[in-house]
Amino acid sequence: MSDFFTEAVLIATVAGAIRLAVPLLLAALGETFGQRSGVLNLGVDGIMLLGAFSGYYTVLKTGNVWYGLLAGIGIGVILGLASSLISVTLLAEQGISGIGVYLFGLGMSDLLFQRLVGTPVPISKFPKIDIPGLSDIPWLGGMFFSHSVVVYLAFLAVPAAMFVINRTTFGMNIRAVGENPEAADSLGVSVSRVRWATVTIGGTFAGAAGAALAIDLGIFQQNLTNAQGFIAIALVYFGAWRPLGVMAGALLYGFVNSLVLQFKTLGIIPQSWSDIAAMAPAIITILALVIVARRFRAPSALTKPFTRGT
Amino acid sequence: MIWLGVAAAAVLVIIIVAVSGGDDETTDTTAAATTTAAPTTEAPETTEAPSDTTEAPSDTTEAPAETTTTAAAAAPIRIAIVAPSASNDLAFTQSIVDGVNAIAAEREIAEIAITDGTFVVDDAAAAIRDYAANGFDLVVAHGSQYGGSLQEIAPDFPETSFAWGTAADTFGLPNVFAYEAASDEGGFVMGVIGAALTESGTIGIVGPIEVGDAKLYVDGFKAGAEANDSGVTVNINYTGSFSDVALASEAAQAHAAAGADVMSGTAQMVVGAISVAADQNILWFGTQANQATLAPEIVVASQVYKWEVVLSDILDKVAGGTLGGSSYVIDLENGGLVLEFNEDFTLSDDVKALADQTVADIISGAIVPTE
Amino acid sequence: MADVPMLEMKGITKRFPGVLANDKVDFDLFAGEVHTLLGENGAGKSTLMKILYGLYQADEGEILLNGTPTLITSPTAAIEHNIGMIHQHFMLVETLTVAENVALGLPSSRGALTDLDAVSEKIVQLGSQYGLEIDPEATVWQLAVGQKQRVEIIKALYREAQLLILDEPTAVLTPQEVDQLFDTLHQMTADGRGLIFISHKLHEVLALSDRITVLRQGRVTGYTTTEGATRSSLASMMVGREVKLAPDKPDVETGSAALEISGLSVIGDRGNVVIDGIDLTVNEGEILGIAGVSGNGQRELAETIAGLRQAESGSITIAGTDVTNQRPVDVRAAGLAYVPEGRMKDGIIGLFTVAENLLLIDHNSKEFLDAGLLNFEAIRTHSQDLVDEFAVKTPSLDTPVRSLSGGNIQKLILARELSGTPTVLVASQPTRGVDIGAAEYIHKRLVQQRSEDTAILMISEDLDEVFGLSDRVAVMYEGEIMGIVDPKKATREQVGLMMAGVSQEQALA
Repeated sequence: MSDFFTEAVLIATVAGAIRLAVPLLLAALGETFGQRSGVLNLGVDGIMLLGAFSGYYTVLKTGNVWYGLLAGIGIGVILGLASSLISVTLLAEQGISGIGVYLFGLGMSDLLFQRLVGTPVPISKFPKIDIPGLSDIPWLGGMFFSHSVVVYLAFLAVPAAMFVINRTTFGMNIRAVGENPEAADSLGVSVSRVRWATVTIGGTFAGAAGAALAIDLGIFQQNLTNAQGFIAIALVYFGAWRPLGVMAGALLYGFVNSLVLQFKTLGIIPQSWSDIAAMAPAIITILALVIVARRFRAPSALTKPFTRGT
Repeated sequence: MIWLGVAAAAVLVIIIVAVSGGDDETTDTTAAATTTAAPTTEAPETTEAPSDTTEAPSDTTEAPAETTTTAAAAAPIRIAIVAPSASNDLAFTQSIVDGVNAIAAEREIAEIAITDGTFVVDDAAAAIRDYAANGFDLVVAHGSQYGGSLQEIAPDFPETSFAWGTAADTFGLPNVFAYEAASDEGGFVMGVIGAALTESGTIGIVGPIEVGDAKLYVDGFKAGAEANDSGVTVNINYTGSFSDVALASEAAQAHAAAGADVMSGTAQMVVGAISVAADQNILWFGTQANQATLAPEIVVASQVYKWEVVLSDILDKVAGGTLGGSSYVIDLENGGLVLEFNEDFTLSDDVKALADQTVADIISGAIVPTE
Repeated sequence: MADVPMLEMKGITKRFPGVLANDKVDFDLFAGEVHTLLGENGAGKSTLMKILYGLYQADEGEILLNGTPTLITSPTAAIEHNIGMIHQHFMLVETLTVAENVALGLPSSRGALTDLDAVSEKIVQLGSQYGLEIDPEATVWQLAVGQKQRVEIIKALYREAQLLILDEPTAVLTPQEVDQLFDTLHQMTADGRGLIFISHKLHEVLALSDRITVLRQGRVTGYTTTEGATRSSLASMMVGREVKLAPDKPDVETGSAALEISGLSVIGDRGNVVIDGIDLTVNEGEILGIAGVSGNGQRELAETIAGLRQAESGSITIAGTDVTNQRPVDVRAAGLAYVPEGRMKDGIIGLFTVAENLLLIDHNSKEFLDAGLLNFEAIRTHSQDLVDEFAVKTPSLDTPVRSLSGGNIQKLILARELSGTPTVLVASQPTRGVDIGAAEYIHKRLVQQRSEDTAILMISEDLDEVFGLSDRVAVMYEGEIMGIVDPKKATREQVGLMMAGVSQEQALA
């Protein structure tokens, strides 16, 4: 256990937690917008996978990580718009249609990878930025202020999302549409326009999350996200549909995973526990979900398509 | 707004069409598709193939018509492979694909069909059954997780030979072969090299789940490192997943934080770990396939599986009417396991000699890597 | 009144598949007046108003605002034309604050950012002007029903609505809250606003309106000024024939106690106490009415008596048999008949036929079994008798019940429940949402059952019904009985005060 309390290991644990949290945080923040407006998009993981591939492939071809991130965002926008069409305008059953988007993304990203790349080739990664001054702080600097640039961007997105949801008319419309679309509609708020916007935002974030994951790992592989998109959806519930809660959930998830990895690496947990340890994050999440479910309520109109009349 | 959505859908359709219709520009790969290799085809040099990003390693564009003209000679055989990850994963699945392609260079094979990416066992079972029903002579179920399915399927097709790996058990069925790799042998040798190269005295290994081939390899590597230098610390981390690249990457970060300057790992998700090792200039030892292309500057050596050694014998038996019942192990002695050193990495003569000696000792039985 | 009406709807026709919802309806409204739209459920009132508010488009006809033909294609367009609507079911976002609900859909003075401080200020100002005091910071779900309605009205006033549609605005209010609402509405007409009032509560219509238009089956079937109209003249216009609003009640000698409830406490769905130690006795040949605003424990009381909900403490006996926390089938065996509040959900199985629904509680009776199998001949005879006796209008015995009208479904439930001559009948909201003709019939049957010595516990939000039928009236508020009064002596105001939680002594003082 004493091996654990060294500077290098503690920094790695916290920094690792933050790195693991980033794709989840991005995807879950985007999904928060959709769910607050009443649309559950189960296709997040599929969008992440296509975002990941397009980001990876763009970096492979151009060598520019920013183009890669933009490509992931672009794919996210396209798939977000497609998801909007399916679930908002065509009123599809959200529990099923999202799975369709997921399977499409899972299969398509692998097919594209096999067709266009084949054998995995490493790509360049996001530059790491040491924040002047802060990164020199002993211990804390390495934990929080010496990360790749998307890490900072992802965490800056949290207050931005809070601001949009709580302080803007658009955010107020989102909350109203997710809770009582009939009421919003009766006051001239276009339910479908708001939902198109939020689902597209969700797709954009998911695409960015996928690209961030692939470019941070510097590689692509079949099913690269390993169902992180679904964990992101669970984190939205965990975070009680609030950006801060979502961030707390993503960090907790990242931290548990990172801690388990460190403990296993240092032999603090026997290797024979690896399966049990692998379940820990899921168990913690389920427990937290049970607690959240008692204290917070989901948006009333979540998963319910809206049509005017009757 | 609706038009935006329709436009988005249209873009997706265009992508799909572009990809599925892209055969003219991109060479067909063995991935996710059934491919036909004519017996006269040149040997596909997959294990040494430079990983050009758009070119597939195997040569499979021969016209099928040629197959029928030359096939009549010696009752050529049809082989099907069902495997869990991508054919070019630089790991487990690629090893069997390379093995079959190597066999195809040596003897007449009428057809090679590959279904890869079946990490869902039920999908794999369906593929295995389809191939058997379609009259393939040998169906290779390449994944220990497929054993249960195979046990149900094989008795339904007594005329078909099945091979299951990595595993030691034939279920007592007359038409099932089992094959596995003594991956601890190569692991041991590379562990010896790793212990000789480490300066920090700490080695990190990333594994998927502590079972089967992965466990054997990791145990062998650890035993080899400790045999060479009892003072060396070997940290092991099984991430609990064969597919979680992000977790493998973080496992490598954890090893680095614990001071490792030599790493190894097994299963397809280690690409994430190799990338971290490359960033931090940590030496890497690969297994299952030659991983030098992923990070030429840090990969010291890879243990490569040559399943063709096993497949060759299985095909002889099948030709002779024996459809199963025996189990195989590839190892350093029978040439099924080969250490491939990265030519871009300079290894001192001392270390090279130590490696060669260790290989010789294992073959002679002077060293037993793991109990 | 000005010469040009602020609103003219001319020849409005709206068809839905299989239904002519509005058939050449003419309607107009002048500034400063209340024009009531009166009619049964399904008469086409809501459809007409949804057309005016832009939620539906008319197939034929035109709308003139201040003499100008105008197309209203959406609620946004309606709001732009200063039309506001108070919906029957509140159109409020429960998780938003009052100010946010008011600001929703309006441009903000701060562009993309909300300007809730300015909105709050104006809410307070409007509130003091119209007697609609409310805390703009409060979250809507925390508000009482009456307060929520204030928010709805403020929403319309905030949007400077000159024409306000009020769809059954009093349905959930106590009599005192209704009086307050009417004060506000009078003030609004005095300011020159025009109000369209939709209701079927005749005395409220008479109290508030200047003019009344009656709709029946999508057509205008009557028009009158309030002067000279009476409740029964309005009821006749709605139904198309003479209607007795209150049935004749013969004197009945009450017998022994049939239903006795003592010290009953019940925990509700949210874990709170919804019935708090109540005592009630209903005698044979007596109707005990339970008055109260819904949500004060009435539904839970009925369900607990019927054995559908666990009692925490206390006891319920029917004709001397203790039925506390017994299975529903045992409670029925003890002599209970039950007409539930949720007619479609709890009273029938919508996909089953008329005959099957009539058999629901008797399917194990020997009468309908033949060697353990259903005897269809006996069932049909029995069903046909009941359908005839209770005048259930149905195309056949094999019609799925959900395609019948509300009134006919309620008659069918009554037929089933009364077929076994019960000792006790618990009837929850027996005529809610039922047309006047059916309500008249149901009332007659209840009185007839009383003459046959059944003890009847009637739960109703409709004070007309409670006063017209009950021998005694118990008022429920927050799970307690505030008192039991004689409807011949007590006034609606007194009962109304008790419904709002005032004790009996104070209310009668």
